[in-house]
Amino acid sequence: MAKIGVFVCHCGENIASMVDTGKLVTTISEHPGVAFSSEYKYFCSDPGQETVKKAIRENNLTGVVVAACSPRMHEQTFRKACAEAGLNPYMLELANIREQCSWVHTDKIQATDKAIEITRSLVEKVKRNNNLQPISVPVTRRAMVIGGGVAGIQAALDIASAGREVILVEREPSIGGHMAQLSETFPTLDCSQCILTPRMVEAVQHPNITVMTYSEVEEVDGYIGNFTVKVRQKARYVKMETCTGCGDCIQKCPVKKIPSDFECGLGNRTAIYTPFAQAVPNVPVIDRDRCTYFKNGKCKICQKTCQIDSIDFEQQDRMVSLEVGAIVVATGFQVQNTALYGEYGYGRYKDVITGLHFERLASASGPTAGKILRPSDGKEPETIVFLQCAGSRDAAKGVKYCSKICCMYTAKHAMLYAHKVHHGKTRIFYMDIRAAGKGYDEFTRRAIEEDQAGYIRGRVSKLYEENGKLIVRGVDTLLGKPVEVEADMVVLATAMIPQPDAKEFAKRIGIGYDEYGFYNEAHLKLRPVETATAGIYLAGACQSPKDIPDSVAQASAAAAKVLGLFSKEQLEREPVVASVSDSTCAGCWGCVIACPYNAIDRRDITDRNGNLIKRVASVNPGLCQGCGTCVSFCRSNSIDLAGFTEKQIFAEVMGL
Amino acid sequence: MGIQEQYRNEAAELLSSGAVKLVIGYGGGSTPDRRRPVFVRSAEEVSRLVLDSYCVANLSAYLISEGLLSDGKNVAVFLKPDGIRSVNILSAEAQVNPDQVVILGFNIEGEQTTPLPGRKAADYAPLMESLRSSGLSPELQREADRLEQMSAVERFDYWKEQFAKCIKCYACRQVCPMCYCRRCIVDVNQPQWINTSSHTLGNFEWNIVRAFHLAGRCVACGGCDRACPVNIPLRLINHRMSKETLDIFGHFPGESADQKPVLATFRQDDPETFIL
Ligand SMILES: Cc1cc2nc3c(=O)[nH]c(=O)nc-3n(C[C@H](O)[C@H](O)[C@H](O)COP(=O)(O)OP(=O)(O)OC[C@H]3O[C@@H](n4cnc5c(N)ncnc54)[C@H](O)[C@@H]3O)c2cc1C
Ligand code: SF4
Ligand code: SF4
Ligand code: SF4
Ligand code: SF4
Repeated sequence: MAKIGVFVCHCGENIASMVDTGKLVTTISEHPGVAFSSEYKYFCSDPGQETVKKAIRENNLTGVVVAACSPRMHEQTFRKACAEAGLNPYMLELANIREQCSWVHTDKIQATDKAIEITRSLVEKVKRNNNLQPISVPVTRRAMVIGGGVAGIQAALDIASAGREVILVEREPSIGGHMAQLSETFPTLDCSQCILTPRMVEAVQHPNITVMTYSEVEEVDGYIGNFTVKVRQKARYVKMETCTGCGDCIQKCPVKKIPSDFECGLGNRTAIYTPFAQAVPNVPVIDRDRCTYFKNGKCKICQKTCQIDSIDFEQQDRMVSLEVGAIVVATGFQVQNTALYGEYGYGRYKDVITGLHFERLASASGPTAGKILRPSDGKEPETIVFLQCAGSRDAAKGVKYCSKICCMYTAKHAMLYAHKVHHGKTRIFYMDIRAAGKGYDEFTRRAIEEDQAGYIRGRVSKLYEENGKLIVRGVDTLLGKPVEVEADMVVLATAMIPQPDAKEFAKRIGIGYDEYGFYNEAHLKLRPVETATAGIYLAGACQSPKDIPDSVAQASAAAAKVLGLFSKEQLEREPVVASVSDSTCAGCWGCVIACPYNAIDRRDITDRNGNLIKRVASVNPGLCQGCGTCVSFCRSNSIDLAGFTEKQIFAEVMGL
Repeated sequence: MGIQEQYRNEAAELLSSGAVKLVIGYGGGSTPDRRRPVFVRSAEEVSRLVLDSYCVANLSAYLISEGLLSDGKNVAVFLKPDGIRSVNILSAEAQVNPDQVVILGFNIEGEQTTPLPGRKAADYAPLMESLRSSGLSPELQREADRLEQMSAVERFDYWKEQFAKCIKCYACRQVCPMCYCRRCIVDVNQPQWINTSSHTLGNFEWNIVRAFHLAGRCVACGGCDRACPVNIPLRLINHRMSKETLDIFGHFPGESADQKPVLATFRQDDPETFIL
């Protein structure tokens, strides 16, 4: 005989103010099979849980219904309580009378009736629950980090240093990401390359890290602890194993005038190239679309130059399939280009550049060797105007959010310019100066007080060229007066935006994203580095605009999550898995196709002599995620889901 | 030589050469305008075969008889284009091996019966493509349009009236090639999802489930419609479901033997009109 205990929670006022909990308790206590019922202010609290445990022990309860909040909120809490009282944790059901009842209704009488129905239907379900045992699945204790920017590098190093293998996948020929392009970094003005390159080298040399550059993730299969990732290693046409990185080929390559992405088009590269001198690995790639040999079938100068025969024009893309237990996504961001606003010239003026261009101009290893020279004629600009929030915080034309880093790097740019061009004048149009962070406000103050950064609060309405000058017109909203500045160069602090393929990539690997394409965390406050997909974590600017300290901190946090997952050899999985009835399965394979986790296989049923009797579908419990897709697909009702069996669901529905 | 003669000869040859073990065709029925299925196992018997414009039943349903194809031998079957489509579906759903099915294809236009060249389902690929745009017969289309014009309430009343006639004989299921389940959902009684009694609820449950199970699978052979002893226009429900899957997912049931079931697959560009 079923002996069900029903525990009605007030959730403080959340439930009790709209549901007559007393009436719920009396009504439900008369329902067949209910052996115990009580109410309490907070059943999730310590004394609340004790009440549940005590009731289970004293009344030998066979099942428990807690009428309270959602299973997502407290199913685990009460399952644990049941287990501690000696009851199988799967003999618990949560009747959600908060989100689905008290919160959404305004009529107490009707809400109470509804709460009674909800609770009754769960009592009917729990009567048909079975004891279930968790499933153990092995964990592949190897991680994959996608994206080799500073976030990816940090995550990889942390996981590797804790003794676990890491595969770091980067789609560019070198790791480093945006930080490799930066000159000096706020708020300390240390040289970006100087602090990054050692970490890049550490990553490739680490015995636990396999760096795969010029590689892209094509497909992710499986689930937490057991992912299979297909990676395309693009053909480099240079043999990684033998190339010493001497660079002779690059010197000799006749195609020299290709605008370099790394230099934001301010410098050129050859058809065989490394993106920058400190590239890791220092092995060039041939840009197939620009290479004379690939275009015309003639040249091969690099091959002739290479002393150790490391050029291989026959190389093909290679697909590799990798088994990993956890994935850290650190695919970073892009900056919006200058063509965004008509009033700023739609990217027409050569001397209107983005902050990233400025980084390259200020970088000692950049195209101007660190001299601030304007792109149009190579002259040193005397006056530079900076426009903050170019595209950010602009719901009408740009993006709604604040890009977070522009206030800081604009102050940095003003400082670097002042250090390099002593007589130079800066004018910075800003909306607010957002400098929250350790040492940040001090940094912007320093720009103003020591380096004479000229801040003007206001927006720019027009920008045009006249007699070789860029005329910037705007308003100073503090003075309430129009201003006009004659500038030699204008730097737009354009918005930090997601990678162009961010949404498509998220779909491919199965994680969520926001309206822009930044990746969604499981909970903004409490689970900021996890995605809603178990086993996939986030690090860096792919989640939201971030500076280096934030990116690195999040990367270490993601690494900690991965290491936590890897601390055990086995992972306990919910036993909510499907199973097929051999006798009724018609072998139509619809479920095999429908299963999003590829958890269903075909199985032969044979007689004693090995003759095939029939072929049926068969669920692999290690792979099944309990989503129920197959159950709803199967026309002949040949699949059932443990914990949500047809009988349970039917009873639950009929209980309403 | 008429088409009947031609196909009798062909059947005789297939049987005597051992190319097939059985020919499933049409024979004379209880009245002059009725045909019944005949199963011919030797060349001597081919004179039992009849082929004319009364041969409307979709004989592919016999291919799924338990054990018929399990010996790996071939079977020939007389099929109209709708029957060829159902062979494709049955192949796609792993119920028959298309290599074992020799198709004696024919078409009926008015009084005319014409042969369709091709012997294997795959030979009919161009025909399948051209069928995509074919609609209902004019009179059925008129009825379909009439239903379409109705308000939801009127339509519900219409079907309520129709379904009220259902006696749960399951003839519609029996005649349907796609109803090959070893145990139909209506026969599940633990729990009893579908009421087996012939009352409004039970009749609705049965007919709606059947319609859903044929969504993206019905080839519009009209078998259920003809089989129904109480003349429920079942074809119209199936037609509506087919229209839905064609319009939304571009799915034409039975187009090829490797077509994926529409309700089991997902494409990134699937419209999500049902998500509010
Ligand atoms: C102009 C400018 C100045 C800045 N100055 C400073 C500063 O002074 N101080 C500071 O703290 N911060 C600064 N920042 C911010 C800093 O650049 C970022 O915080 C940092 O680069 C974020 O690192 P990340 O690893 O998340 O992303 P990224 O640096 O963008 O790296 C992402 C990496 O992932 C790779 N990738 C992308 N997609 C894929 C894929 N599908 N598969 C494989 N690999 C992929 C990319 O190629 C790239 O290498 C500045 C930013 C800008 C734009
Ligand atoms: S010449 Fe050869 S060894 Fe030198 S960088 Fe080029 S490919 Fe590598
Ligand atoms: S959907 Fe049902 S009948 Fe078809 S293979 Fe799967 S379990 Fe068997
Ligand atoms: S109605 Fe559905 S369950 Fe019944 S036999 Fe047809 S397809 Fe199978
Ligand atoms: S054939 Fe007609 S009466 Fe019989 S079960 Fe089907 S719909 Fe009902």
